[in-house]
Amino acid sequence: MRVAVLALAAWIPAAALPAFAGPGQDPVAWLQRAVEAARTGTYAGIVVHATGERSSVTRIAHFFANGTEVERIEALDGPRQEIVRRGDELQCYYPDAKTVRLDRRVTARFFPTLIFGPPEALAEHYDVKLGSVERLLDYECQWIHLDPKDTLRYAQRLCAEVTTGLLVRARTLGQQKRVLEQFGFSELRLGSAVPRSELKSPFRSLSKDWVKDTRPLEESRQVDTGWLVAAPAGFRKVTEMARTVPGRDRPVSQLVYTDGIASFSVFIEPLATGVRVSESASAEGDLSISVRPLSEYVVTVLGEVPPAAVQQVARGVTRRP
Amino acid sequence: MSQEISTLMDGELDSDEAARAIRALCASDERRERWTTYHLIGDAMRGDAGGRAARAQRIFDALEREPTVLAPRRPLSTRSGRIAFAAAASVATVAVVGWIGVQQGRSTGADTLARGAAPASSQPAIALPEPKLVNDYLVVHRQVPNAEFYRPASNRVPAAAR
Repeated sequence: MRVAVLALAAWIPAAALPAFAGPGQDPVAWLQRAVEAARTGTYAGIVVHATGERSSVTRIAHFFANGTEVERIEALDGPRQEIVRRGDELQCYYPDAKTVRLDRRVTARFFPTLIFGPPEALAEHYDVKLGSVERLLDYECQWIHLDPKDTLRYAQRLCAEVTTGLLVRARTLGQQKRVLEQFGFSELRLGSAVPRSELKSPFRSLSKDWVKDTRPLEESRQVDTGWLVAAPAGFRKVTEMARTVPGRDRPVSQLVYTDGIASFSVFIEPLATGVRVSESASAEGDLSISVRPLSEYVVTVLGEVPPAAVQQVARGVTRRP
Repeated sequence: MSQEISTLMDGELDSDEAARAIRALCASDERRERWTTYHLIGDAMRGDAGGRAARAQRIFDALEREPTVLAPRRPLSTRSGRIAFAAAASVATVAVVGWIGVQQGRSTGADTLARGAAPASSQPAIALPEPKLVNDYLVVHRQVPNAEFYRPASNRVPAAAR
């Protein structure tokens, strides 16, 4: 398919071509490029994230070396906190508590890395189209529209810088195109404009005698939880784990599903004696939550999908025979 | 007191207990506020979206104040479920307001009692979901807890003092 696009691009008279060697008019090729740019690109800047009525600001620096991406993410709001990500390995530094938390990325989203797996899969459950070209942060950017083909996911609007393909902005839209969540660079430098020193975390040496919380990493390995989830079409299981959650004396089963851009977690825990749980659902920003009793268990489904999706999933959980 | 409020709303107090709880409720601004909040949750559940934004702001403010705690707390199972439920009620505002949809399996008796207890309002009693549960799951799903998660225990303000 991409070959065909290239051939087509070669045929178009030069005057009709934009000033860059981009992926032409194939929106899925744009998504592919966004994935590659986020992974292998060199970029740094300030990222603003807003969901519901909350927002956070982080500074990021991203490099790719020896086949591995390395990213440093510093929280600029609130207490000091820093993450160094090498591929899927996460080191989270909490200087106030002198603690470093080790984990493996499963559901965490680190803008501009938003797409899991092959972008072609997204086209099965979203209409993917190119939108307008807009100037953002002094970069020429191409909007890519993902409109869901069913009611179990939200529309996505991604805006890619045209020369590299890197996402500069991303929005999740609810009903009436209301913005539920937004990621965006408020400052962005690309390529050689990023000195490698920005990747250096002061906490790497400072944290030598800190407390190491390795439990999240240990618990990130796949286990058989014994539960079955009837996930809506297009959502594939990423992993299932036994996770320690504060306040529970036993690990909780967590099954994670994604459609390539939206994900949800299914949590199943034994119901504490005497606790009554009613079926209920909630939403805040693009996050929906459904809680449902299931004999002597409680099922909680939580993710970046509409309330109808988490409700449907919560009702489709069964014990494997 | 949170416990009594939510038990009252669930219609599980007998009439003497209910009368006592209502007197206590009316005696304090903070408790009245909490009662109102619980009923706003009821409004939200029935899809009454009026004034929701202002309420939501209160909820988010409450969320900011409520640190997520990793240090082992007393496990739910060692306490009465009822108490554990109500103890979480101050956080309930966080996770529960904006709850939009299904709320099933309540007894009509509970509804009647709650109405009797608070003649000014016709809201049915609501069984609060475990909000802490939801908040902790959010941390697990997002994988990046905020710094409060690892705040040393000595620096934490006990929930009761907040």
